[in-house]
Amino acid sequence: MKYTFAYWGNYTIAIKTLLEKLGIDLIPPEKTSSKAIEEGSKIAPELYCFPLKVNIGNYLVAIKNGAEKVLMVENVGGSCRQRYYGIVQNKALKDAGYNIDVIVLKTSPKEIYSKIKEISGASLLQIWGAGRFAFKKLRLIEKLEKIANYLRPREKERGETSKFLRWALDKIDKVKDEKEFTKIKKEILGKISKIKIDRSKKLPRVGLIGEIYTVCDESINFGIEEKLAREGIEVHREMNLTYHLKKGIFPWKDWQIQKKIMPYLESTVGGHGRDAIYEMLHFAKEGFNGVIQLLPFGCMPETTVRPILEKIHQKTGVPFLSLSLDEQVAEVGLQTRIEAFAEVVNNHFIKYNK
Amino acid sequence: MVFPKRAKLILGIPQALFYWKQPFFWEEFFQNLGFEVVLSPKTNKEIVEMGVKIADPETCFSVKILFGHLLFLENKVDLIFIPRLKTKRMRSQNLYYKSQEVFEYCPKFFGMPDLAKILLKTKILTFTLDEKKERIEKTLEKFAKTIAKTSKNADVKKAIEKAFSVTNQKEKEAEESFFQKAKSEKKKIILISHPYNLYDEYANIGIKRKIEGVGGEAIFINEIPSTSTPNLAPRLHWEFGEEIMGKINTILNYDIAGAIEISAFLCGCDAVLKEFVEREFKKHRIPFLYLMIDEQTGEAGIQTRLEAFWDTLK
Repeated sequence: MKYTFAYWGNYTIAIKTLLEKLGIDLIPPEKTSSKAIEEGSKIAPELYCFPLKVNIGNYLVAIKNGAEKVLMVENVGGSCRQRYYGIVQNKALKDAGYNIDVIVLKTSPKEIYSKIKEISGASLLQIWGAGRFAFKKLRLIEKLEKIANYLRPREKERGETSKFLRWALDKIDKVKDEKEFTKIKKEILGKISKIKIDRSKKLPRVGLIGEIYTVCDESINFGIEEKLAREGIEVHREMNLTYHLKKGIFPWKDWQIQKKIMPYLESTVGGHGRDAIYEMLHFAKEGFNGVIQLLPFGCMPETTVRPILEKIHQKTGVPFLSLSLDEQVAEVGLQTRIEAFAEVVNNHFIKYNK
Repeated sequence: MVFPKRAKLILGIPQALFYWKQPFFWEEFFQNLGFEVVLSPKTNKEIVEMGVKIADPETCFSVKILFGHLLFLENKVDLIFIPRLKTKRMRSQNLYYKSQEVFEYCPKFFGMPDLAKILLKTKILTFTLDEKKERIEKTLEKFAKTIAKTSKNADVKKAIEKAFSVTNQKEKEAEESFFQKAKSEKKKIILISHPYNLYDEYANIGIKRKIEGVGGEAIFINEIPSTSTPNLAPRLHWEFGEEIMGKINTILNYDIAGAIEISAFLCGCDAVLKEFVEREFKKHRIPFLYLMIDEQTGEAGIQTRLEAFWDTLK
């Protein structure tokens, strides 16, 4: 049986490593293309949220490459529609005539363990090893993403950081051994520090908040981090996969967040609704020059908190831009909006930070 | 809570969204506690326009209508009531589910009082209903004690009991009307939607009237007695999902001609629910029509689609 899963930005590499190390026969998903999104939207339920359509697009490409089964996690977003992704994707694919099963992994350790046992027969030790290796890769990827966001607007030769990042990710992807990985990690971190930058530059800073899938996948958000960097803006982003996993394991992070946002919202609204408010308050307090919210069109938690974010924007004066993404968003339209927003950010920067 | 000084406080309740989850309950409850209750009028064009203008463009049509109602009540009353509905313990005819299962409301209900606070200058009266922690009677009792003029236990309990008896009465009436309709020889059409779409005649463009106009019998999904739980492989975790799927399970035993699902534009929950509802009716070979409503829905368009659907019925 050949398995596949949904593409999700650079984290795909870590997920792929995890599944491969578990001994699952894998057809890794290809990078999301506009063609895949188009094909996925054709057979997906029309009013379902955007990530589901992209996922189906990914599966269709993988099916062409020979995949027979799909792995999907369930219930990672609290009270939001992500809970039903597996079931609805299964139905949509079957209705479109594809003979393919979507296997749903419930997010309780016991159920995941029994499912993995069923699929690959991996021992507990093997699972531990795979998890550790994948997590190491994930940490490095996230670190590189963070460093790249600092380097990009400062680099002397335009495009060098992104080029380097692509090379590094390819390297990380190809490593199959943990010992070798340590070596490569050193090499990458050594090389990234050699990228020539202008350290003296003081730049406006923008925080990126919103729905985790759209924020973290550059193939969905048209590389918004690069676009902003090209305008001379330093991008900060708190949301990443580790942040999400940590929240799943340690619930007190949620309690802290709730405490901070109490004057604005007194309850969860599902997904990462509370986190968006928390992060925006944090960025405003730190004196950032702008906040951008990314969300899939009609995302329930993010649209619920958007009026609150706008209220914070009015109160603190931080420029705020909300971008809804779906299959009809064109790159040019997004580019124009980002350029206009960059002007606002620069004005804010000149007014308050110079 | 600090209330303005007046003999009788005027409390506004918007006749939208959460109101229809338990119709007639809240007005009875607050009247018994010594408030003067003002309901916003039935949804009309001005209310919808006000709501659409102020609400986030990407929230669902039902929330936009609620915002319109809130704006209507603004400055006309001392307090506006919006509960924070989080979870519900399922019950039918006052009998608790054996398994004591708890279901969630739509996540948009969770943050509604906070959004209203941003929107309005009038004070918001709210409480959290979370039956995962506490049964509704207990929560109401505590809530009533904080706001009522009388601190007597018996009075508060009586007020709650009275309010419940009113809703139970209405539920019974609805069920009786269902059994009458079930006997009728006209073609029966099931209308599936949330109560705030079904009972809001402006929002659903008088679909019930229209069905009766073409000679059918319209049965609302929540008139059907809930006698069975859904036999769905993955149970929905939303209370309306549980209720609607269970009632569909019941109605399949009756002879029905067709089913119409009405969904508010951008309702996230309906995007999920539709998949399951459609599957159920397809399995039993019952014609199924999916209608989307929003502020731009035209009467003529709905009429045409309904007539075309009517012609496909056996």
